[in-house]
Amino acid sequence: MPAHGLIDHAEPIPPAAYWELLMNLTKREVKGRYSQSFFGVAWAIAQPLATMAVFTLVFSRLAKMDSNGAPYPLFAFAALVPWFFFMNSVSSGTLSLITYRNIVTKTYFPREIIPLAQVCSRFIDFFAAAALYVLLMTVYGVGIGVWSLMAPVFFLLLILFTVGLTFATSAMNVFYRDVNPVVQIALQLWLYLTPVAYPLAVVPERFRLFFVMNPLSAIVEGFRSAVVFNRAPDWTLTLISASIIAAVFVSAAIMFKRMDKYFADVI
Amino acid sequence: MPLAIQLDRVTKRYRAGRSRTVVDLIGSNLDRMRGRAQDVHSVTRGRIDATIWALRDVSFDVPEGAGVGVIGRNGAGKTTLLKLISRVTWPTSGRVRVAGRVVSLIELGAGFHPELTGRENVYLGGGLFGLTRRDIDRQFDRIVEFADVARLIDTPMKRYSSGLYARLGFSVAIHANPDIVLVDEVLAVGDAAFRRRALEALRQLMTDGKTVLFISHDMWNVRRLCDQVLWMEEGRVKDYGAAGEIAERYMSEVNVQALANQGTALQSHRGGTGEIRYTGVEIVDTAGRTAVLFAPGDTLVVRASYRADRPVARPVFQVAVIDVDTGLVITTATSRPGDAPDRVDASGTIECRFPRMPLRPRQYILRLGITDSHQLASYDVVSAGPRFAVSGHGAGVEGLADEEDGLVSLPFEFAHHTGDVRVVHQA
Repeated sequence: MPAHGLIDHAEPIPPAAYWELLMNLTKREVKGRYSQSFFGVAWAIAQPLATMAVFTLVFSRLAKMDSNGAPYPLFAFAALVPWFFFMNSVSSGTLSLITYRNIVTKTYFPREIIPLAQVCSRFIDFFAAAALYVLLMTVYGVGIGVWSLMAPVFFLLLILFTVGLTFATSAMNVFYRDVNPVVQIALQLWLYLTPVAYPLAVVPERFRLFFVMNPLSAIVEGFRSAVVFNRAPDWTLTLISASIIAAVFVSAAIMFKRMDKYFADVI
Repeated sequence: MPLAIQLDRVTKRYRAGRSRTVVDLIGSNLDRMRGRAQDVHSVTRGRIDATIWALRDVSFDVPEGAGVGVIGRNGAGKTTLLKLISRVTWPTSGRVRVAGRVVSLIELGAGFHPELTGRENVYLGGGLFGLTRRDIDRQFDRIVEFADVARLIDTPMKRYSSGLYARLGFSVAIHANPDIVLVDEVLAVGDAAFRRRALEALRQLMTDGKTVLFISHDMWNVRRLCDQVLWMEEGRVKDYGAAGEIAERYMSEVNVQALANQGTALQSHRGGTGEIRYTGVEIVDTAGRTAVLFAPGDTLVVRASYRADRPVARPVFQVAVIDVDTGLVITTATSRPGDAPDRVDASGTIECRFPRMPLRPRQYILRLGITDSHQLASYDVVSAGPRFAVSGHGAGVEGLADEEDGLVSLPFEFAHHTGDVRVVHQA
């Protein structure tokens, strides 16, 4: 016997079931990505590591890029780890509802779990690369200071921004498949428009506003101040970005919930 | 009686044709700016003109604990109905209200991942039905036992057969403690033994007060499982009422339409050596009129014309009746003296008469052949001849009850004796 009578909306699922479904879909995603590959999760660190090597060669050795006195590889890697978390999540997240169309069109469950699982599945990559970063710190003789306690704060901002953007792009891509190629190209360019290979300080004043409006600037600079330089982050920049991130997250979540009624019809 | 499902003037419109692109997005935004009302899947200025009305103005109630069969042709809106009730999709207008937890079996094991083991998929699939790990832990052994997959439960599901895949999917769904179960013809997969158990399980759910909506083309199952039938036609409710009566009328209508459209030409690719071949086959009633629909106990005549290209001695004409779903019912042949001429060398017609045919209400297909006198070498084989259907209650066949299963109706009598009776074959 149902506890209540007829209702117009979908029966909500218990929070425990919601959480476990998210974990299971994440597991399915991770297992699908790394099973039957010999190196498995080791591939997760190959991407930032290889990019760090190329950046070191191009920006540090050839272009003599200033890294504020820190070892350049460390300087780049501290930004590449959050960057790839963001890029990979948004990249596969944009396609996620289409990839899972089989269950989207056949069973009801809270649809936001699908893009969320994409982001969650990148945690393992993030932490594997973060562990490697700690190793690199000892190699370069850089110690962990008290400001590293800020790293979780920037990680939280990173997650919120990534989830918000993934909600928006995944939902829009259900309706307009042009969204995916646009997103993929934008991600390629975004890397160079974010202070990953270079410090924000070298950006000329007239481009500064553009960089401030990009929440990833504050995030990568924040990670660096926490774990490379052991100093306080740029609070103004961080607050501006946190506000932008909150606005992006809330509006994307609202948009997603409004559009999800139509997913099964057009997917 | 409280209601489990209520649809009130529900309309569902789909956009047909090509997918929307950014060009359409710009177009519809221009429209919006000019003040034209748009909804999210609206039609923009004729760029996309076709819309499909999957459901139009559908209203019906399903009381709690009812078993409702949903019947109708392909495209009648049956699956859309299930998707609306399960909240996979939402109505364009009207109201869908549901009481309790819905589990939809639109495709068995839709949420499973082939790389994960059966065990992991039980938790994943159960999660999609809103179950927690603890819920599933409690039901796990029953789920595995029902699906009969204990041996393979820790094997990745990509190694499973499709039948096994479906069985585990079904098992997870019915153990998800649903209030309402929606079944969309998923029982077409799997072997007969599993189908029977699945139907039993659905019946048990109904006994436990759960509501079951059951899409099926198999009127036999619909009548056995459901007390009510909802007949959909072109997105509208054509009829809704007592299962037996509506299934009966549906069968008659569908059979007449489907069978009336069958071509009269015989298939062109045929077996046999070809010395003698059928040139036409028709099914007629006692009055000699072409017929496709018979009542149990009617007389059916198969009239086949043939032509021999050269003289053939003692050909044997064969006519077999095949149940479309379950297979051969009977083979007949002109093997007795006088059934057919000793020698044929031109055209002719052979008639096979089934007086007071005791067939059950189902669809049948004829298979015809011409062989040599030993019925070894084939001159001609028509493997898929014309079809006919038996439906309704006929006169002239005794002891025929709706509830009996089987291919044919045999007259039968029971006798009862009190006291010890010697039974010849004892266990």
